[in-house]
Amino acid sequence: MTTLFGTPDIAIGMKESVSRVRLYDGPLDLSWRHCATTSDFIADLFALRFRSSRNDYREVRHSIGYLVNELIENAVKFRAPGEIVIEASMDSQCFKLKVSNDIDGEIASEFQSLLADITVGDPRDLLIQRIEANAANPDVSGSGLGLLTLMGDYGARLAWIFSPAGESDRICLETYASIPISQTHN
Amino acid sequence: MEIKTDDYRVWVEGSDIFFDGAMRLASSEAGAPITALATSVLASNPSSITLNLKDLQFLNSSGINLLAKFTIEVRKHPDVRLIVRGTPDIPWQSKSLPNLKKLHPALVLLMD
Repeated sequence: MTTLFGTPDIAIGMKESVSRVRLYDGPLDLSWRHCATTSDFIADLFALRFRSSRNDYREVRHSIGYLVNELIENAVKFRAPGEIVIEASMDSQCFKLKVSNDIDGEIASEFQSLLADITVGDPRDLLIQRIEANAANPDVSGSGLGLLTLMGDYGARLAWIFSPAGESDRICLETYASIPISQTHN
Repeated sequence: MEIKTDDYRVWVEGSDIFFDGAMRLASSEAGAPITALATSVLASNPSSITLNLKDLQFLNSSGINLLAKFTIEVRKHPDVRLIVRGTPDIPWQSKSLPNLKKLHPALVLLMD
């Protein structure tokens, strides 16, 4: 069964002019450092067209880098062994990203329960509420804060599709994101 | 007191805590030495604490959570003034630092 969370209309439309980076598990010994290296690379690549304006370049490069870094960090943290595929495209209005990786069934259930909580309501309010809740209970981790930061502070629209992977008890997770790109100084 | 890695540096001068570089913490545990350092400054009971972030180019959400938790800790000490110095030239700071003021309205946020 396929399950969707988040904004349905961004969970499609990655078909046009997509750039793809595939992080293989074995040869790379995939680790935390790959998040920064990969997100910096993608941000550099897509922000190039804004280099005529220093302010636009800085803003666009940062926003793309922040989004990609957070979503690859989640993939590296929670994935089942296997590759991570990152697909990106950009038009005049927005930068779109899709991150695909497998996760274990148990992780998928926990994540779905988290998503049910953080996708309803104003993300800026939810972010503050969850920070307060986490601070009040040291045993609770900061899960969801990165996604709420993306939605609340960066205007990101996010969607997640869970579908059965080939292997038993593994789920294929596709995370979709879209952030507005504004060009103001040209 | 100083914490130094290949990517970032955190150090204390008086009751000012300086951050420099790009900080991508893998978890809240990874930020424990920084929390300990900041907590030790708070424990010295200064009249004010300044978090100087003007040279912190990047901070991931685990790091932002660390700053938020410390802000809430300082909030429990109404006699300690918390000043956060940032710059509008670094986008994560103008986007996310105002959240600290929501957590602690008496916090002084200087974006200069």
